[in-house]
Amino acid sequence: MVMYLIIFHGLLAVALLGGITHQAMSVAWPSRSKDGIVRSFRAVNSSVYTNANIVLYLVTATLGGIIYPVYRVGVRTFLEDARLNSAVGSFELKEQFIAVGLGMLPLYWMLWHRPPEADSKLARTAVTLILCAIVWYSFVVGHVLNNIRGLFGL
Amino acid sequence: MSTQKVFPIFAAAFAVIYALAVVYNWALFTYHPKINEWQWLAQPAKNGPPMYWYGWLVTSLLGASAVSLISWPLTRRGSAQLWLGWVVPIVVVVVFVYLFRNFFLR
Repeated sequence: MVMYLIIFHGLLAVALLGGITHQAMSVAWPSRSKDGIVRSFRAVNSSVYTNANIVLYLVTATLGGIIYPVYRVGVRTFLEDARLNSAVGSFELKEQFIAVGLGMLPLYWMLWHRPPEADSKLARTAVTLILCAIVWYSFVVGHVLNNIRGLFGL
Repeated sequence: MSTQKVFPIFAAAFAVIYALAVVYNWALFTYHPKINEWQWLAQPAKNGPPMYWYGWLVTSLLGASAVSLISWPLTRRGSAQLWLGWVVPIVVVVVFVYLFRNFFLR
């Protein structure tokens, strides 16, 4: 059962990664032209991703919270025994970053549901980029830890 | 709209209270995964490692909600201090990197 939840957690994270990266790129580095894959990637209607990103963030974090005890009891103990301190620390940081991101979600929603004024444009870009960075970091750390035995030949 | 003016304050308060909750272990409850048992407030290990993360999140949620509620009358007149909602979380993230540096240095 846990294995299915981890796979589902990973799939949701991929969807969130796509949505938040599209939005972050389009707000930080917008493009009007859709010539080529990079410009097309940036030329999306960024506001349509907001609700989906919030739901995906909440559901992915909740699923992560459900499977977290398995990591805490089995995986972390193994990592500590193997003296993989950086791996343990990376997950500790992931845990804290996700929590900080959770607190930013109401503001993120507000900034994308009001007309872009001069003062809110910077805040909108910053909040979106922070959430994007949190999601990317969490995804990479989760993925590496999930495959750590194979990656490090343990 | 006036309710939404507290959202930057909520984000900032959540980040700060969460950091304090982690540092001082202000968990509203503790989960013992090995024996599947929940206890109020931060409790020591009991046959396996204790988990405080859920408790820290609830502490932060309640704390940030209280701060937002208290500051709501003040925000109704002025403009929303949007910068609070992203500058403070960035600072908290940097603080966490500093706090957990030993994992990467030893």
